[in-house]
Amino acid sequence: MKSVASVSKKEVKKQSLSLCGKKVKIIMKKIFAIAWKDAIVRFTSPSELLFFIILPIVFTFLLAGGTPSNDDDNRIRIPVVDESQTAVSQQIIDELENSTAVRPEVVTRAEAQSQFDDRRADAVFIIPAGVDIEALQNGSAQVEMLQQPSNLNAGIAQRAILTAIRRVSSSVSAAQNAVRQREAKQAFASDAEKQAYFESSLTLAQDIQADAPERVTVIEGTTPDRVNYDPRANSSAGQLITWVFIPLFGISALFASERQGGTLRRLLTTPTTKATFLLGTISGQVAMALIQMFLLVGFAILAMKLNWGRDPLALFVILLASALAAAAFGATLGTFIKTEAQASGVSIMFGMVMALMGGCWYPLELFPTAIQSAVKVLPTTWAMQGMLDLVLRGGGLVDVLPEAGVLLVFAAIFLSVGVSRFRYE
Amino acid sequence: MPNILESQNLVKTYGDFTAVKGITFDIKEGEIFSLLGPNGAGKTTTISMLSTLYAPTSGDATIGGYSVTKDPMAVKRVIGVVPQDLALYEDLTAKENLVFWGQMYGLGGKSLTSRVDEVLEQIGLTDKAKNRVKTYSGGMKRRVNIGVGLLHKPRLLFMDEPTVGIDPQSRRAILDTVKDLNKQGMTVLYTTHYMEEAAELSNRVGIIDHGELIALGTQDELTKQVGETETLILHIGENEDPETLAKALSGVEGVQKADVTDHEVSVITADAKDILAAVVGKANERGIKIRSIDIREPNLEAVFLHLTGRALRDT
Repeated sequence: MKSVASVSKKEVKKQSLSLCGKKVKIIMKKIFAIAWKDAIVRFTSPSELLFFIILPIVFTFLLAGGTPSNDDDNRIRIPVVDESQTAVSQQIIDELENSTAVRPEVVTRAEAQSQFDDRRADAVFIIPAGVDIEALQNGSAQVEMLQQPSNLNAGIAQRAILTAIRRVSSSVSAAQNAVRQREAKQAFASDAEKQAYFESSLTLAQDIQADAPERVTVIEGTTPDRVNYDPRANSSAGQLITWVFIPLFGISALFASERQGGTLRRLLTTPTTKATFLLGTISGQVAMALIQMFLLVGFAILAMKLNWGRDPLALFVILLASALAAAAFGATLGTFIKTEAQASGVSIMFGMVMALMGGCWYPLELFPTAIQSAVKVLPTTWAMQGMLDLVLRGGGLVDVLPEAGVLLVFAAIFLSVGVSRFRYE
Repeated sequence: MPNILESQNLVKTYGDFTAVKGITFDIKEGEIFSLLGPNGAGKTTTISMLSTLYAPTSGDATIGGYSVTKDPMAVKRVIGVVPQDLALYEDLTAKENLVFWGQMYGLGGKSLTSRVDEVLEQIGLTDKAKNRVKTYSGGMKRRVNIGVGLLHKPRLLFMDEPTVGIDPQSRRAILDTVKDLNKQGMTVLYTTHYMEEAAELSNRVGIIDHGELIALGTQDELTKQVGETETLILHIGENEDPETLAKALSGVEGVQKADVTDHEVSVITADAKDILAAVVGKANERGIKIRSIDIREPNLEAVFLHLTGRALRDT
């Protein structure tokens, strides 16, 4: 009897577990159905793609100042017109090539003028005909420079050009001095010998100049910059948050639409609970937000060469925590707003204000200290800092955990308020 | 037939306002039961309590043996609801709507697919199943709205004024659908403020007014309440004064009651033919021109008029 009772208990337990499993399966199917329905409704109009991916990419690109070129040469490009075509003019160009500030690009005068007129060049350097050693020696050499007004890059180019000319001139001066000294001791047998002596002295002076050791050792300080800013990283993270948070706040419009359309009321006459509806709606929007985020991150990695993918787990954690916090906030908003039109306006307003105040458009460090402290109540602030930890500061999972934790606390608070206040009418 | 629904003293109050004042009735398995009453009488609130949307302030009801207050989830599996206002996703196609709602009723896989096809056939929209609902006419949307309520083959179908605001052809189609569903064994609770619909469809009718069930029974039982009376409807011109005529007719011998409805005067009498001449005479005396006269047999309209002193269309 004992063993029969024991078997029977096991059977009952097995059956109840199987029943429980079936129920969970049905609920999961309903959650998926709600999420899928919302996705179809959202993407019914092709214009949704504009807000989902096209505009976010455009804004990210524009605010980042465009994508980097393939070469890593960040020097200021200077079109150079060499009408002299002499050894001296070539030496000046070579000196410019060795510069850390400018990068010479030899072009024709017409091309240089065109670039300058179209403001595609900050400055143009022209070496007219006749600039040779003789001209340098007798001081008649003249060069020209065109520069855009009030242009910082043009100023830098001017200094670089002057430095290059000075270096070439000083080599010539050194060679001339050597010739004079030699002549004072012993006259040259011929002009040819004098010229040969000058040329070898010039070569020697140039070699000495080229081999001259650096006289300044640069030591970079370890004190962090007050403004940690990289336009590309900030634009990528900031635009991602802006364009993903607004539709997530739009969950409020979804609730209003379901209420106004009577579908929520009807839904609750079916064997579907309020919790299933909320889970389906929120998880669907979070899933769409994650897809949108990964597309934007993919764009930033491939087109902007940003290093988002250093720690995929950390990336997933911060993106998920951000999406959950925003979705929960949207759910809470939805319990205060009555109509779909109101909800759309309010969610855009909150999205914009929170993005601005959270440092998504400007570095938070530029804000007054009191504001910097106050905006810690916003989920966008934590989302932005978490993402910058990854893409700007090169952090990993451990670095983003504090921000992710705060975002999950936001999610829990907002979700509790949203669920407790949720009404179907 | 056993009762599928038993409502006991259902009450719903909102602050100081009592929308439903202790409604008690039952519905037998396989019948069409109509709740007839004017707008704001409490029909939708009653259906909302029975479909577990609103918790009753007091009282209870059982549906299929399950209490709406204690076991609402079990009740939801027994009932289907066709709400008064369209409750569909207009950006989805009819098929997508039916699939989604079927999933909400717990259907899935092949049974869902075949049931959706059956319902599309039933509501006559198979060939337009892949069109978005927002492109449909009002009548077609109503049919989808009904179809959603049929997906899980409910034992009891609540239909809350399903013909409001649609063309006569679609209305006819909906009434025929209700009759067909009933023939297939489905029990229907139908609410309406159209006397003709309740008369055409119902096995039994409950008349509801100001949150109270003021009469309940078959049509014969209800019309007997007003006795063997007939109703004379006098249609008068727009510039005439119906109140004056009604007042004058109240004094005519054989007239039990004379009420004004828009540009009509309804006169309840035992035999319309006997008073016809006197009625026309009174109108002529006062210079009121009668455009036409209808004589109606005892009906639910007369019952409502008899019980409330108001016509259904006016309230």
